[in-house]
Amino acid sequence: MKQLISMIILVGQLFSAQHWAHHSAFSLPEKRWDIGVFQPLRFGVSERMEFSIHPLLFSVMPNLSIKISQKNIGNWATASRYGGFYPTPLLNMLTHKGQFGMISPDLGPIPRLLGLYTDLLLTRALFTSTYLSIKTGLSLGISFSGLDQRTTIDLPLVYHRLGIFYNKWAVRFGADLTGNITKKLRYLVDADAHILPGFNGDLSLENKGVLFWEINEHLRLLCGYKFVWARFPFGSQARVLPYIPIMETWVPFIDLQWSGARK
Amino acid sequence: MLGTALIGLCAIVFFSCEPFVNEFSDLSDAQMYTSSNITPVSVKNHPIVMTWNIRFGAARFPFFGDSCGDSVILTEDQVDSNMDKIVAKIQEIDPDIIMLQEVDILSKRSGYIDQVQYLLDNTSMNYGCYASVWQADYIAFEGTGRIDMGNAILSKYELSDAERIQLRLRTDQSDLVRYFYLRRNILKVKISELDLYAINIHATAFATDDTKKKHIDKYIDVLSEINTAGNWFVSGGDLNSLPPGASVTDYCEYDMCSGEYFHIDGQEPYHKEGSYFDNFTGEPEILQPLYDSYVPAIGTLENNDPGNFTHAPSTSYGPHGGGHRYDRKLDYLFTNLSEGWVPGTDSTYQSLWELSDHMPVVAALNMGTR
Repeated sequence: MKQLISMIILVGQLFSAQHWAHHSAFSLPEKRWDIGVFQPLRFGVSERMEFSIHPLLFSVMPNLSIKISQKNIGNWATASRYGGFYPTPLLNMLTHKGQFGMISPDLGPIPRLLGLYTDLLLTRALFTSTYLSIKTGLSLGISFSGLDQRTTIDLPLVYHRLGIFYNKWAVRFGADLTGNITKKLRYLVDADAHILPGFNGDLSLENKGVLFWEINEHLRLLCGYKFVWARFPFGSQARVLPYIPIMETWVPFIDLQWSGARK
Repeated sequence: MLGTALIGLCAIVFFSCEPFVNEFSDLSDAQMYTSSNITPVSVKNHPIVMTWNIRFGAARFPFFGDSCGDSVILTEDQVDSNMDKIVAKIQEIDPDIIMLQEVDILSKRSGYIDQVQYLLDNTSMNYGCYASVWQADYIAFEGTGRIDMGNAILSKYELSDAERIQLRLRTDQSDLVRYFYLRRNILKVKISELDLYAINIHATAFATDDTKKKHIDKYIDVLSEINTAGNWFVSGGDLNSLPPGASVTDYCEYDMCSGEYFHIDGQEPYHKEGSYFDNFTGEPEILQPLYDSYVPAIGTLENNDPGNFTHAPSTSYGPHGGGHRYDRKLDYLFTNLSEGWVPGTDSTYQSLWELSDHMPVVAALNMGTR
């Protein structure tokens, strides 16, 4: 059961977490928060600074990101984002014999790993309530002792995000478009590229589409898909996520998001 | 905008619907290969045929699934080294047709090497075909990851009409395990220049129900169909069955790993999977119809001779094995050619026990009087 839970956490978080949120240069207003079942807890520390963590994942993969608003450049709002995560406990949970063992036990334990990243985010209004964001970022993966190359988890999203620990670094680029369809219905479409120069499986191109239904001021329902085309050591692969193997079908991603303000 | 997004989504779903685990129809095309260096050959009267379960180039790596080890993923250097040794032996023996079992293509455990292409490109074999036995994007079991293992036929002569014939799945597993488990098959291909079909099979090893009977029955049906149509075949593979008249049918204690116990009343499993050859009525004689109908490369009298044993689990060369590196025969060659095999050309290469847990069986077909 422990293994099943850890696998669900990994898959759930890696398939959701930051992937379903949009990456605008806007920070949450001071004392404002929002959180989803599968999404990070975001909190506006000040008008210029926002903290974000993944609470479900935190106990097995401590993580933190900070977004800081910067000066506007023309019509573009800008922000920088800095973050880090420590995946070693989670990866060690997935290193075991039998079912749901995603890393061969004879290759464990996984050494201490620290992932660091920074992004530059730019957002501008295209029309009323329609915003375009572009982003670029650099990730670094630090392994404090030898990491066996055979410990990779060769699945879409996972392989390229953890690839920084084998390749040492990666860059990413992306663009988001978000806007209102009706007063209560909003959309988000985006495209991202994760590039790990020199890595065996050096590119992941991702696209997502999400609809947000504002149930009320504090509650939103999300529904969407994520498409990934990526290169792996065995060749390229395209997959729409979430994907249910036994049913051999894609199912829509569904999540709830709450928001509010701390008094 | 929304309409465009929805159309895009539908298109994406439509074009991305490759299954996570590949389930096959009863009959499907096999995957065809060509060597990057075609070596011209002339038609021989006595082509040499080999069958070899190469254990995905793992040699004697202590793989968790079929030995007493607990390792899963080889390094690329290990696979390269093992494959180069297999290549060297194939070049030395110089067969014209090879039936291979447990060949990996693009599997994580074997360094994502396409072993069919590797063997074609590094030997004098020119053409190949492949049928997956186990093909999944990801096996979340002990870090196995992506897997594509199967049967292959390599030939110096051009191949055509390659078919993958599905064998029945095991019934002694849960639905979940069966979904991620092996889908064994018979690989059938035509070699027009020799006017001959080549048939390769890897029958079930670990089933405790009647799956092995179903596999051998289907194999007999496939051979019979070719024979009845007046065509010639050479066939072989890893039948995971003992020859008729084998003196031992229970290898549980030979194959028992440290910490395992079998043959204890009231304790399941009573027998070790894959080590007991009397799971159903008639299993010890399951290959008799093949011997009755066709010509074996190694005759009935010699089949149970230790010099023709083809298999050795990891325990056989360990403390329990008494130094024997081969203790049973599981691999066979048959033909329906009236002249059968060239006398004295059959050989079981037991000296290659370090390259796999199976040893190749080789013999020269006698096609001269057709």
